[in-house]
Amino acid sequence: MSIANFMENVPAKIANQWSKFKVHMLKNYGENPGKMLVHTGTLGWILSSLAQVGAVVFNDKISPEQKSFLIPQEVADAAVNILSFYLVTNSMKNVGAKLVSTGKLRTRRIRNFLEKNELMGKVGKRDFNIADQENFAPIADHYKAFKNGVDVVTSTIGSIISCNILTPVLRNEYASRRQKKTLAHMQEYQMKNIQHPKGISIADYQKLASLKYSANNSGLKI
Amino acid sequence: MNTIRNTSLYKGVQKQAHRLEQGTLDLLPDATFNKPKTVKMIGDIGHDISSAENRLILGVTALMTQPFIDARNKNVDEETRRVSVCRTISKIIVGTMTGYVIRKGAIKAIRSWSQLPAPGVSRYKTLFTPKGARSTNTEAFKQYQNAMGTVVALVVMMFTNFLIDAPLTKILTNLLVKNSGGDDKS
Repeated sequence: MSIANFMENVPAKIANQWSKFKVHMLKNYGENPGKMLVHTGTLGWILSSLAQVGAVVFNDKISPEQKSFLIPQEVADAAVNILSFYLVTNSMKNVGAKLVSTGKLRTRRIRNFLEKNELMGKVGKRDFNIADQENFAPIADHYKAFKNGVDVVTSTIGSIISCNILTPVLRNEYASRRQKKTLAHMQEYQMKNIQHPKGISIADYQKLASLKYSANNSGLKI
Repeated sequence: MNTIRNTSLYKGVQKQAHRLEQGTLDLLPDATFNKPKTVKMIGDIGHDISSAENRLILGVTALMTQPFIDARNKNVDEETRRVSVCRTISKIIVGTMTGYVIRKGAIKAIRSWSQLPAPGVSRYKTLFTPKGARSTNTEAFKQYQNAMGTVVALVVMMFTNFLIDAPLTKILTNLLVKNSGGDDKS
């Protein structure tokens, strides 16, 4: 295919991908608001972490030597934030979803359905799913509304635990260790380059580092 | 993928994972929600809470936990701790405010730009309508609009994070540091 032909097809290809993306969003999140909260929350952390890394990469006041040290640290910080959010929130959501699908957490109407179909003996078994049973159709809407509600509640609780308790505690611990390492690294750097200082002064850097790494600096959560 | 699934290691790990899952399920007690009000409330949460409300809840609970975690951080000196608390409060207030407003605005915009194609409906108002959609009044379509609005909001916030959040956080932090009796050059 020539370049001209390829360029001619670009708008059609973009339109096709856009159409596929919309259908994918509808299929994946239309029936699953809890999953949407977990995935968009994780995407939010990824984008805000990218912004933090970008802020270091494109900052002219930081010398290339300092960048070579700071960029991997920002990436590591991002990995902690993203992983802890995804793992905790997704696990909470999955536990909630499993409790509902196996009938451990139910409404009176769902209980009546289980009793009527002699399914109470299977409640709480990991391979049991109410939605796969025969005669499920009459309670389908009621079950979906209840399951979606539980999904949203559990994923919200998961994100509160992850973002507001677990991550700040872990980060404070990690940040204080990192501050010491950063200062030691910068002092070593100063000794090596004492004749040709580059970028900001070590005193200014130490001040910035104490603010940046001393306590709970996660960047801005978007 | 099937080759990996057929290995004894994979099967062994899977068996243990299933045991753990069943063990967790056995530990948790059964619960039946009998009150119609409670059941309705849980259903309404699934229906009404979008990422915007979720961000608001996260912000309010963050204000109740994070400043206290920072204030109890004994690894840093008192001055740093005080600045850190002020900075955390500012970040939460500004981040929650912009996060909520932008998400809410983006979801609202997507709702008006995801109409069904019909005579009199301009093309840009169907820009976000998925192919094959038959009704915009279903629960699934509403959740799709929430998800798409959130994705758009996240892209917008990549810029507002620098343009609005960062400067506002700095101003508010300085103000809080000054009012808490310290040097406002944070």
